Amino acid sequence: MKTIDYDIRGQICPSTLLTALREINYHQEALHDGVVRLHFLTDNRDCVTTIPESARNMGYAAEVSREQGCYLIEVRGG
Amino acid sequence: MADSGADPCGGAAASALEIQRLHERHQHATAYIRDKVNELLKVIGTSPLRPEELDDETLISLDPIGIVAGSFRQVLDHLNRTNEQLRFAREELQAIFDCAGLGILVIDREQRILASNAKFREQFAMGDVNLTGQYCREVVCKTDRPDRACPFMVTLKTGESFRCSDWVVAGRHYDIVETAMRNQAGAVTGCVLVYADITERIQSEEAQRRSEERYRDLFENTNDLIVSARPDGSIEYVNGAWCSTLGYSRAEAERLSLLELLHPSCDAACREHLRSLLRGEGGGQVRTTLTAKDGRMVVLEGDVSLMREHGKSVGFRAILRDTTEREILEEELRKREKLESVGLLAGGIAHDFNNILTAVLGNISLAQAAAAPGDPVHARLIEAEKAALAARGLTQQLLTFSHGGSPVKRLTSVAQLVRDQTIFSCRGSSVDCQIRTDPALWAVEVDEGQIGQVVNNLVLNAVQSMNNGGTVEVSADNVTVGPQDDPLLPRGNFVRITVHDTGCGIPRENLQRMFDPYFTTKPGGTGLGLAVTYSIVKQHGGHISVDSEWGRGTTFVLYLPASTQALPAPEYSVLEPQHGKGRILVMDDERIVREIAAAMLTELGYEAVSAVDGTAAIGLYKQARAQGRPFDAVIMDLTVPGGMGGKEAVRKLHSLDPGARVLVSSGYSNDPVMANYSEYGFCGVISKPYRLADLATALRAATPSPDPR
Repeated sequence: MKTIDYDIRGQICPSTLLTALREINYHQEALHDGVVRLHFLTDNRDCVTTIPESARNMGYAAEVSREQGCYLIEVRGG
Repeated sequence: MADSGADPCGGAAASALEIQRLHERHQHATAYIRDKVNELLKVIGTSPLRPEELDDETLISLDPIGIVAGSFRQVLDHLNRTNEQLRFAREELQAIFDCAGLGILVIDREQRILASNAKFREQFAMGDVNLTGQYCREVVCKTDRPDRACPFMVTLKTGESFRCSDWVVAGRHYDIVETAMRNQAGAVTGCVLVYADITERIQSEEAQRRSEERYRDLFENTNDLIVSARPDGSIEYVNGAWCSTLGYSRAEAERLSLLELLHPSCDAACREHLRSLLRGEGGGQVRTTLTAKDGRMVVLEGDVSLMREHGKSVGFRAILRDTTEREILEEELRKREKLESVGLLAGGIAHDFNNILTAVLGNISLAQAAAAPGDPVHARLIEAEKAALAARGLTQQLLTFSHGGSPVKRLTSVAQLVRDQTIFSCRGSSVDCQIRTDPALWAVEVDEGQIGQVVNNLVLNAVQSMNNGGTVEVSADNVTVGPQDDPLLPRGNFVRITVHDTGCGIPRENLQRMFDPYFTTKPGGTGLGLAVTYSIVKQHGGHISVDSEWGRGTTFVLYLPASTQALPAPEYSVLEPQHGKGRILVMDDERIVREIAAAMLTELGYEAVSAVDGTAAIGLYKQARAQGRPFDAVIMDLTVPGGMGGKEAVRKLHSLDPGARVLVSSGYSNDPVMANYSEYGFCGVISKPYRLADLATALRAATPSPDPR
């Protein structure tokens, strides 16, 4: 499975969310087919809630983990 | 916003206005977009856009409405898919709800039915589909009154699940599980009840329980002994009969091994048979001997079946019967049959021997009368007479257990007899003799000579078993035998004579043969003592038993039936002088007996005439009467082979002369006629062989006066 990384550190909500939603929209077929997953590296605490919640409402699986003092949000096909 | 360009034709003012208007419209549109984006972002759940974060130009180029719209489309697609899945799940659930083999009921807090499945309706509503809104008590319990004690209220009150394992409604048994339904706030809104009809299972369990009870009852109350054993011999199960017969509790038995219970009398083949059964070989009928808890030997017979699991032996089970008592009785029967056959033979020999001894003893008596006192011959004759008397004692013993023998019984107390015989038998030995007799001993009807012989035999045996001294205890007491006593003993009152010694005892292997004729362990013993003892006791309707342990002494116990009659006053008799006068007719088929009898009668002063049989005797008797020289007495042999014996002759003689005095004489000294001679018409009795004094005494007793007619 291919991983596409996005470094959205320095951005804050709702910019981070819009960026994530845009990329999810763009890769929706690949995500549903299970050939790709998206990694968003962020330092904004708010988007740790908003991005996974929006992704799940859209039918994707989303997980948050800590990485390099920031947050890594993984979105993949549900 | 980029400039679209200037109007070169002078419409600058108009253009500026247009530009201004367009700029305003642009700003208005941008604000609208930002506002709508913020609304959408609010719906998504995030904060509004900040101008410093996203300027108008970036806002337009980023197209957040497009992004959010695309996301919303995906959310909608996802919701549609979820709804589809939910619909499918609901249909699936409904199918399960309807097809479940369990009755399902959904009720609200007021116990009104919200839903029920087909099985529930079949169970409680005869298939009625319109149950919704009814109270469950109306449908299930068939009552319109609420029951405050209804156990199913618990879940509605507490929210905890509840299970009732055997709820009986209309004769059917249900296993019911109740689970609460809650709203989003966690409050109980109703509950789901699942009804499993367990009636068949309960009935089957009940049937199985009854069946098990029947089998247990059969197992526990049968008289047969049931045991199952594991391959190592350890006991797995025993029934009540096994426990009561062997004397072990069930718990004790289950700690034992059958191998250790085998009685020491079991031979190697018997042990090997048990081992082969434990290995899973054999089966079928078995006979074995086990040791009870109290050491008793228990003989068992029955059937063994092997137990197998997956082709492997897991032990065996046996159904056995206690045959100990039967074996004892069979042994008793064998012993009796053996004695009877030997007795017949012995009786014949004794009879013939007595005839010979009559001549021997008679001649000795005559020779003694002829020899002068002090003559050395006289002393030799005394020794010869002693030997002949000893021989008579032997034939007496042989006759005692011969079939034709019958004791000459007299009502008496055996107390003095026991005392006299014991003292006599212990005389000259180093044995300490202790005698104890009940002063109120019941009377018995016995042949004193025979019972004296029995006591003599038993005490002599006791004395001889104690070469280095010891104690012999002899006692006589009264005993009443009840159902709890030895099965070999008849019920009733008995006089019990016990002879106990502290001697060497009797080895176990010899105990069985103790009473067999000619069985002896004593050098020079005849092997007749205990056989005669046994025979005498049996002929008195009594019983004898022996208990002994090698090295620890022996106890003989003798039971004689007590008489219901009281003892008569003691009799005294005075011996008359031996010599007499008169004519005596002697009838005997044996020439030597006739000759010696005639010679002895002559010696005593009588005139003797002899006859070979009853017919000849009657002829001579008639003739003597006709000649006026009648006989004063007749001595008749009881048995005449091929001719008329004494029993018939005395009847005929009395038909001629009712006053005829006839004595009976026989080598069968124990014949019933000898014992009860007067019943047969005789006035006296004389057992062969006899001495001169015996003959004189018998004649004196049979004639009315010292001087016969």
